[in-house]
Amino acid sequence: MRSLTLGHYLPGNSLLHRMDPRVKLVSLLVLIIALFVIETFLGFMLFGSFIFMIFLSTRLPWRYFFRGLRPVFLIVLITLILHFLFTKGGQVYVRWGPLTVEEAGIYLGSFMTLRLVLLVTTTVMITLTTSPIAFADGIEYLLRPFRRMGVPGHEIAMMMTIALRFIPTLMEEGDKIRKAQMARGADFETGNIFRRARNLVPLLVPLFVSAFRRADELAVAMEARCYRGGQGRTRLRELQARPLDYYGLTTVTAILVFIILTGV
Amino acid sequence: MFIEVKNLTHVYMPGTPFQVNALTDVSLDIERGEFIGVIGETGSGKSTLVQHLNGLLKPTSGEIWIEGNNLWSSKTDLRRLRSRIALLFQYPEHQLFEETVFKDVAFGPRNMGVEGRELEERVRYGLEWVELDYHTYSQRSPFSLSGGEKRRVAMAGILSMYPEAIILDEPTASMDPVSRKHFLARIKRLHQEGKVTVIFVTHNMEDIALLAERLFVFASGRLVLQGQPAEIFQSKETLEAIGLGIPVLTDLMQKICRKGKTIRTDIFSVEDACREIIRSRREGVG
Repeated sequence: MRSLTLGHYLPGNSLLHRMDPRVKLVSLLVLIIALFVIETFLGFMLFGSFIFMIFLSTRLPWRYFFRGLRPVFLIVLITLILHFLFTKGGQVYVRWGPLTVEEAGIYLGSFMTLRLVLLVTTTVMITLTTSPIAFADGIEYLLRPFRRMGVPGHEIAMMMTIALRFIPTLMEEGDKIRKAQMARGADFETGNIFRRARNLVPLLVPLFVSAFRRADELAVAMEARCYRGGQGRTRLRELQARPLDYYGLTTVTAILVFIILTGV
Repeated sequence: MFIEVKNLTHVYMPGTPFQVNALTDVSLDIERGEFIGVIGETGSGKSTLVQHLNGLLKPTSGEIWIEGNNLWSSKTDLRRLRSRIALLFQYPEHQLFEETVFKDVAFGPRNMGVEGRELEERVRYGLEWVELDYHTYSQRSPFSLSGGEKRRVAMAGILSMYPEAIILDEPTASMDPVSRKHFLARIKRLHQEGKVTVIFVTHNMEDIALLAERLFVFASGRLVLQGQPAEIFQSKETLEAIGLGIPVLTDLMQKICRKGKTIRTDIFSVEDACREIIRSRREGVG
């Protein structure tokens, strides 16, 4: 239960930490586009070293970085294997029965892997340095232009904020209920998968009941304070872009333009 | 020795920026049949401590010994141990999950392998202890009960395991005065007649003064005071410094004593206090 760290934000005071969440979101988008425009290994190397430098500046422990990569490790591995085995073309390197590993496969496989790894690295770096609340604020702001088209930006952001706010609460609650049932002799650790699933009932039922209870209480509390959506709502922390943010935005845009122009 | 805690230290989420030292170098022991009070402010580590006593938490360092056996040695059957040293969490009404009250109360004993006649007998015992009528309640859904009734069902679910020791984590939190008094009286009887070791966690001095034979006082993860209630309440300043206090009655008796009257200060019930004050006044006059 403890290993499940969603929204693994690590507080800090680096340049990246202090940047405006809107700028970080837009930069992330620009960098992702750049990643898909890159056509050569040289491009990936330049991009990679840029990300590496930023990562060093955040002074985040490497551990967290690898932890962030862990969930996609399997996908990366599968991509690599599929390309090695099934992309054909060029010189044949390995022949093993009906299976062959060919030049194009190795090339494309490593190319895709690099792209995936860099994609995840960049995203993990941003999520590690941005508090979920700031994220939601940023998204709300960026969705503002789409309000005319009926996109409820404020509501989406509020839902995200509430969901994120309750993840730790519910995890704590789940942990407590798990322990309470273990104190009554419940067994969550042994047996086959069906048995285990059935043994989860004493944990899940109270957890759901409590989630609904909390939702209900929150709704009442919000109504008691006259919540009525985003219309005319002011905020405690006004988002404000500073010179740092403009430099950041300029840098990532420059990177994208450079990649497009030189075709690396 | 029934329960022995040796140099227990517990750290939550070690090696992260969220690291918390919940307990630091705590050593204590509990004899069979004792009534122990564990007191401390919210966040003082008392809940963390009691979760170690039945193996729900693993010490970061230090050891727990139950009847001369190391709790975390591979020989210990933790599930069995947990039915012997039962723990009732704070707000236990949130742990109910079964379709009927009967099934919920039976969950503990059933996990111990109890079935049939004996199971029914245990459920009956549990429900009777918390004064819920077996016939009226056993087939009802626990979710249709009131908060107070739910808490009693949860308590019944613990008692139906016939534990040798029972740990209660702030059991009287948000109880109305009448139910609280009633509950405390029942616990006292359970201890005296049922010979059950009771470990009572609270920050309410009034609750504990009347009942506990020995107190452990915690502040910021350390065991700062231990001894009989009357001894502990002598250190009023220390207790107030760590966010606790002494029972109103003790405070009163100590104040009278300081005025130069000969009066006992180790009195925790209103009736006794009344008698003692009258006695002391008579003496003063005579």
